[in-house]
Amino acid sequence: MVKEKGKVFLLLLIGAFIGSNLRYAESLIFKTSDGFPLGTLIANLSGALLLPFLIHYLQDRYNLSSQVVLTLSTGLLGSYTTFSTFTADTYRLYENGQWQSLLIYLTFTLVGGFLLALLGNYWAAGQAFNDYVRSRRK
Amino acid sequence: MNFLIVGFGAAIGAFIRNELTLLQSKIPVDFPVITLLINIFGALLLGIFTAKIHNGAILLLLGTGFCGGFTTFGTFSMELSQLCFQHRLWRCLLYFVLTYIFGILGFIVGIHI
Repeated sequence: MVKEKGKVFLLLLIGAFIGSNLRYAESLIFKTSDGFPLGTLIANLSGALLLPFLIHYLQDRYNLSSQVVLTLSTGLLGSYTTFSTFTADTYRLYENGQWQSLLIYLTFTLVGGFLLALLGNYWAAGQAFNDYVRSRRK
Repeated sequence: MNFLIVGFGAAIGAFIRNELTLLQSKIPVDFPVITLLINIFGALLLGIFTAKIHNGAILLLLGTGFCGGFTTFGTFSMELSQLCFQHRLWRCLLYFVLTYIFGILGFIVGIHI
């Protein structure tokens, strides 16, 4: 049991290490002059799109083991995206009275996150369907 | 050096999140309660850390690292889309509203206590 937990920790360590640093790097790369949290927004939206695609397509397509899926989903994408920083960004924009930025940020996160997650599911289903058609032709 | 701090904090956060998520299957409620609580509690913690910690490296470890890795936007969005595809639209809306309202409130409470 302890050994098993140790293994889970190691897998999550690898995934979370990569995911959180990708997000951190994006927050540094996409630094804006007015403090708009573009890095967090890009990380959250791209993560919302990729997670359903990983779970509903890549997992089956490449026969990924449960360990790889745990590393990539809970570890990497789970840590790449963040909810707490979103709340902090929202509060900061509100405190600074950056109403236009706040409105854009909230709209893109709330509406965009949901739509991209739906799109990720459709993308996965579409890819799986294409693979099926291709396999039937052979 | 910073990337080691962020990565280590996030790994601890992700591990605790994973341990808690395992409890979801043991709860007789058909609602993603665990992710909801993780995101609200993580936002509260980030508020507390932001207000109380003034050392840049420690804030990077606990804020960007731990809270960032502990809370998750990806799983939340995916659970929303699942509820939507299962035509549990009220549950989907409730999950959406509860997460955003109590998440943002959590951060505000955290920063003021």
